[in-house]
Amino acid sequence: MMDLLEGGTLALLRRSLDAASLRERVIANNIANVDTPRFKRSEVQFEQVLRQYLQRTEKGTSRTVMARTHPKHMDAGGAGAEIPTAVVKVDHSTAMNNNLNNVDIDYEMALMAENQLYYYTLIQQVNHEIRSLRTAIGGRV
Amino acid sequence: MKLSGLDISASALTAQRFRMDVIASNIANAETTRARLVDGRWVPYRRKMVVMEPKTSSFSEMLRSELNGSKATRAPGVKVTRVVEDPTEFKRVYNPEHPDADEDGYVLMPNVDIVKEMVDFLSATRSYEANVTALNATKAMFMKALEIGK
Repeated sequence: MMDLLEGGTLALLRRSLDAASLRERVIANNIANVDTPRFKRSEVQFEQVLRQYLQRTEKGTSRTVMARTHPKHMDAGGAGAEIPTAVVKVDHSTAMNNNLNNVDIDYEMALMAENQLYYYTLIQQVNHEIRSLRTAIGGRV
Repeated sequence: MKLSGLDISASALTAQRFRMDVIASNIANAETTRARLVDGRWVPYRRKMVVMEPKTSSFSEMLRSELNGSKATRAPGVKVTRVVEDPTEFKRVYNPEHPDADEDGYVLMPNVDIVKEMVDFLSATRSYEANVTALNATKAMFMKALEIGK
């Protein structure tokens, strides 16, 4: 019964929304520190780990999952049995300015616009899911 | 409720506005020969600059995030930590009629370069605008999230 809102597509969408809002904050932080000497930009990695997770679950290797009651518990039932969360990585590899800052403001603004559209798309998807559920519950078209 | 995307951009708006204030002070005092009295002699105004740093989280915040099992991350945003003075030489201008002129008729003028200040001011304005855009984007995303389930 609880699986109605917890499982499947909605859970995936929720994690994706979390990742998108985290990315929004990370980009806002990069833009905020555009004039800070020695600041290094961060980025959010999510889509890649999500793709790996989806490929794994399609093969059906990690269907049995042991419950975790604490975030520091290990995953049991195959690594990454749960839907992965986004990770923040600091980019130390480049230096753009004389002050060793590597924030490219144009790139960050473009990323922010892209992320915003991505977020809107996800919200539309969530709304669509909820509408489908509502139709199913009401039993009429 | 914590809408932390907004206070990141807000901290940057504060920092950039402060930077603009300092630049305005530099331009306003570009001709000030009597900024400070040192040993009975007037010293001209020294150009001031802001020092920006990423915000670091306090000990209690780090402890709490460790106990929650999440990774300790830097509390995001930016802040101005210090205002420093530019140590470069004062300009010497020949102007014997000036009340602060020395025996040879030279006056020490502030080490403010108006052109440099204008360029800095433009840079601060652009950064401010970029942060306003970021703030609006974050706000729009929050507004969109309110439409979930409608």
